[in-house]
Amino acid sequence: MAKPAKKLVIVTEKLLLKQIAKIIDDSGATGYTVVDAGGKGSRNVRSSGQPSISDTYLNVKIEVLTDTPEMALKISDEIATKFFDDYSGIVYICDAEVLNAHKFCGPDGC
Amino acid sequence: MDFLSSFLTRFLSQLQSPTLGFLIGGIVVAALGSQLVIPDAIYKFIVFMLLMKVGLTGGQEIRNANLTEILLPALFSVIMGILIVLIGRYTLCKLPNVKTEDGIATAGLFGAVSGSTFAAALTLLETQKIPYEAWSAALYPFMDIPALVTAIVLASIYTNKRRGTEGKRVKIWPIVKESLQGSALTALLLGLALGLLTQPESVYKSFYDPLFRGFLSVLMLIMGMEAWSRLGELRKVAQWYVVYSIVAPLLHGLIAFGLGMIAHYATGFSLGGVVVLAVMAASSSDISGPPTLRAGIPSANPSAYIGSSTAIGTPVAIALGIPLYIGLAQALGG
Repeated sequence: MAKPAKKLVIVTEKLLLKQIAKIIDDSGATGYTVVDAGGKGSRNVRSSGQPSISDTYLNVKIEVLTDTPEMALKISDEIATKFFDDYSGIVYICDAEVLNAHKFCGPDGC
Repeated sequence: MDFLSSFLTRFLSQLQSPTLGFLIGGIVVAALGSQLVIPDAIYKFIVFMLLMKVGLTGGQEIRNANLTEILLPALFSVIMGILIVLIGRYTLCKLPNVKTEDGIATAGLFGAVSGSTFAAALTLLETQKIPYEAWSAALYPFMDIPALVTAIVLASIYTNKRRGTEGKRVKIWPIVKESLQGSALTALLLGLALGLLTQPESVYKSFYDPLFRGFLSVLMLIMGMEAWSRLGELRKVAQWYVVYSIVAPLLHGLIAFGLGMIAHYATGFSLGGVVVLAVMAASSSDISGPPTLRAGIPSANPSAYIGSSTAIGTPVAIALGIPLYIGLAQALGG
């Protein structure tokens, strides 16, 4: 059995992580995953409190699995209006099926 | 004439110190496209070590210091921090092709203090055997935080006026809290507290003190490489930033030197302490300041302020500013 879900992916500057995490928590999502990311976009200048020449990635990719597409869209809209005027980032949505999870699927399992 | 020639010879001899050598070396290797990378973890550790050592030294000396001696320099630090942002607001921002918010953010960084420049200045003072009050390390937050707060408040007033949204007041306490929680200030304040309240002589003598100069040289190397890599950012913004970044450290430092001399004659603030005050004013926060401004003035273009501060401001303050003020102090002190 698999539960259909939407996977919301946000790739943005590491600087914004704490604030985005708060938005995700407030929206009611059960959790999220963060991965270090590198890459290049149109703006391409970062200020993260680290020297730019040190060998670390300065972006993050955040994945959130949501029950409903509405919750994903709500998170995405809030992030875009709050941040994307002034900071770099992109948000996209994919389909996913959750096979095994503790909280996400509820007590009846996936 | 004699004053000038002795000043020049002292100025030139300081350019040979390892501090400046590593800085210029970093710029050169980065310019040549070297793959040399100093990992970020090492950078963070070095900043911690340097500021902890400076804090410990300062804390140990505060025990014997008279609080009234500290008051006037502290006041001048706050004044300089705010003054630098105001100077920038009414000069840099008025120049053509300079967006006001970018200019305010740049002035904010130049008002704030750079840990690397600060540590380099203390080392050069010790090499030249100029005594200074160790508690002058405590002046760091007095200049750093007012400058950043002033910049964010001025930018917010300007943005609100432009968008016509009155009444959205900037909350100052979160900015202050975030600055104090930053790694540089935490290390410094912790060192001050430990130096003051505990007996850290054993770890100080065996660990923090001996490693200071070595770590400083690596930090200078990183700053040099970083300066080169951020130079490209300045090509994206107005040429006036280059002019400002060269003139500002020297100008602000001289103003602070003047204020320091007032404290020197009024309360016996040593000439070394005056140099420390001048260098703090000349320095521009390069790594810890930008994230605070990025969050506080989101509409400012980071290419402008990071480019100005890291690529030109810090090297000018270290390579030209520090020898200049030390030379001045030596010439005045005889």
